Amino acid sequence: MDFTSLIDNLGSHTVDGLTKGAIYALVALGYTLVYGVLRLINFAHSEVFMVGTWTVFGVYAVFNATAASGVGTVILATSVALIAATLASAGTALAVERIAYRPLRKKNAPPLIFLITAIGCSLVLVELFGHVFRQFFGPPFGRALVSIPTLIDTKVLFTVGGVSITNIQLIVIFGAVLMMVLLDLFVNYSRLGRGVRAVAQDPDTAALMGVNQDRVIMLVFVLGGAMAGVAAMLYTLRYDITKFDIGFLIGVKAFTAAVLGGIGNLRGALVGGLLLGVVEVYSSTLFSSNWEDVTAFVVLIAVLMFRPTGILGESLGKARA
Amino acid sequence: MYSLDQQEVIVLRRSTRFGFSAVALALAVSASACGTTDENGGGDDGDCAATIGIMGALSGSNASIVIPSVNGAKMALTEWSAENEDCDIKLQEFDTEGDPAKATPAATQMATNEDFLGVIGGAFSGETRATKGIFDDAGLTMISQSATATDLTLEDPASVFHRVIGYDDVQGVAIANYLREVLQAKKIFVVDDSTAYGEPLANTVKTELGDLVADSDKTQEGQTDFAAVVSKVEAAAPDAVFYAGYAAEAGPFLKQLRDAGVEEPFVGGDGLYGADFPKAAGAASEGAIVTCPCLPAEEAGGTFAADYEAEYGEAPGAYAAEGYDAMNIFLAAFADGARDREAVEKFVDAYEGQGLTKTYKFDEKGDVAEENVVIWAYKVTDGALVADQEVPK
Repeated sequence: MDFTSLIDNLGSHTVDGLTKGAIYALVALGYTLVYGVLRLINFAHSEVFMVGTWTVFGVYAVFNATAASGVGTVILATSVALIAATLASAGTALAVERIAYRPLRKKNAPPLIFLITAIGCSLVLVELFGHVFRQFFGPPFGRALVSIPTLIDTKVLFTVGGVSITNIQLIVIFGAVLMMVLLDLFVNYSRLGRGVRAVAQDPDTAALMGVNQDRVIMLVFVLGGAMAGVAAMLYTLRYDITKFDIGFLIGVKAFTAAVLGGIGNLRGALVGGLLLGVVEVYSSTLFSSNWEDVTAFVVLIAVLMFRPTGILGESLGKARA
Repeated sequence: MYSLDQQEVIVLRRSTRFGFSAVALALAVSASACGTTDENGGGDDGDCAATIGIMGALSGSNASIVIPSVNGAKMALTEWSAENEDCDIKLQEFDTEGDPAKATPAATQMATNEDFLGVIGGAFSGETRATKGIFDDAGLTMISQSATATDLTLEDPASVFHRVIGYDDVQGVAIANYLREVLQAKKIFVVDDSTAYGEPLANTVKTELGDLVADSDKTQEGQTDFAAVVSKVEAAAPDAVFYAGYAAEAGPFLKQLRDAGVEEPFVGGDGLYGADFPKAAGAASEGAIVTCPCLPAEEAGGTFAADYEAEYGEAPGAYAAEGYDAMNIFLAAFADGARDREAVEKFVDAYEGQGLTKTYKFDEKGDVAEENVVIWAYKVTDGALVADQEVPK
């Protein structure tokens, strides 16, 4: 128990935790959106994130961008990578919905079938990158850790009250929060967003009111996928790595964050993600890093004992979304 | 040696429970019966056949610590087979990804297939610990090229287990010496990855360093965010950081450490030995030190390093010479006429000889003598591990 270390550097630990949690929160949005509309836990979502990180790697390779590249190349490569990762992740999410879930929905399959299909899709995507692509294209595909070039060097931007904020931390936290605000505005104030809320609240009535349910479901997968794509971009900026199974742990944590905040609730995903990140870093500091998962899940269980629907409750369909 | 007549062989064949080839048994028995010790393995009628299994992480983030030893073993077999054409020795690879859960079925497969007369491996300590009971029950001899956890021999020895390298207690002492004497560090931060390999190694180093340990921390496998560890290191302001673990975590850890502005020397154990570590850490790994109880191949003498490079197009990496040596010990057993597991085990136990990297003679627990163990420090230079100096034990 290292209380002094925690107290002395509380500020920087909090910033570290928020950075970590911001990425959880962005990924958590995908779980929460799909759950809100379909009551389905889309376990393939972690691989939607993984595809995003590989896309970033691919774009960097195409631009031949490395740490030594000029400013122009760096800006171009990161912008293209961001767009490509968003599109690739959204596309993957959409493909999973069209290929795997929609045929099941047409046949009115029971929820358990959806769940096992989701796990199956997740494994298919993992093995595509871990094994199949390697057979066709060779390395870097495979089971090894892939290092992504560091395009933006970590620099301390400013110090507030003894807490140094780096450029990467700022980009990650700011980027994640911006995406969430945009998504929240979209769901609450746009026509399409109204459709999403309508289907989440009552699919049958929504259909009677002329909402195209299939289109809303596709939209939800695309939105969740796009968020995962942005998360992938931020993740690669922060950690500079990817791997075929990189999504697994992030996926589990993001799902936890979604449940913690109240699954189906967009703002809940933000609260849950940030809280989880901070709790993990605090516990790593108090005990050691191999305790962070223990602490994270103890907190989850404790919160669910008192608030079984999560901190903000399940409410995508309700007006406060 | 014993000898059986035809009648007994038939009886044996009927009573055998394992369903292995009776012909192979008969041949093996007849070969043993000859009691030949000549160099060509008494293989006058093509009876010299066996399969050696080699298991370890052949794919995944830590494969670069294992693949060179597999290549080394292959080279030994190719060279030997060219001179012993009447012998049919096969080397079969088992990819465990370094995961004990994946190693167990592979071990069972080898143990239950009587064609297997020896195993090179396991490459990592965790998988070796998980499987050595299986091999022990089957009487299948293991020679590990790189499993260095101390307890594998000292605390929980298995009669079939041998290794051609020193164990972590010896390595730990050497690492402590390196930190203290070569780096002249007065405050050292020790991190381990909580695995069967990392934790005991870090503990030995900590015990050895005593008061010089500024602070320590633990990480876990699969971790990518090391913010908490990094801030602990920053707070402790050490002269050097020692990491006991594997490349998949050490890479991101070192990167984040350097990003945070910690520029003190970084020392890792043999878990980081291999091309994966500089790759995973990128430019941050420049100047990092990796210790390994393995001899640099260019020091091994002879033409090994050149032959290896000619065959595989790259300089011999981690444990290549050790894999070569392990295979040669098995091959010597077949040359000596060993045709079943019992005979192989007996031969390896009594083996004495000079390999590429050291003089081999296994003690009753399966270790080579401590004075024959060498520990080297390698430095990451331009993204590759370059032999730096031998470390005092």
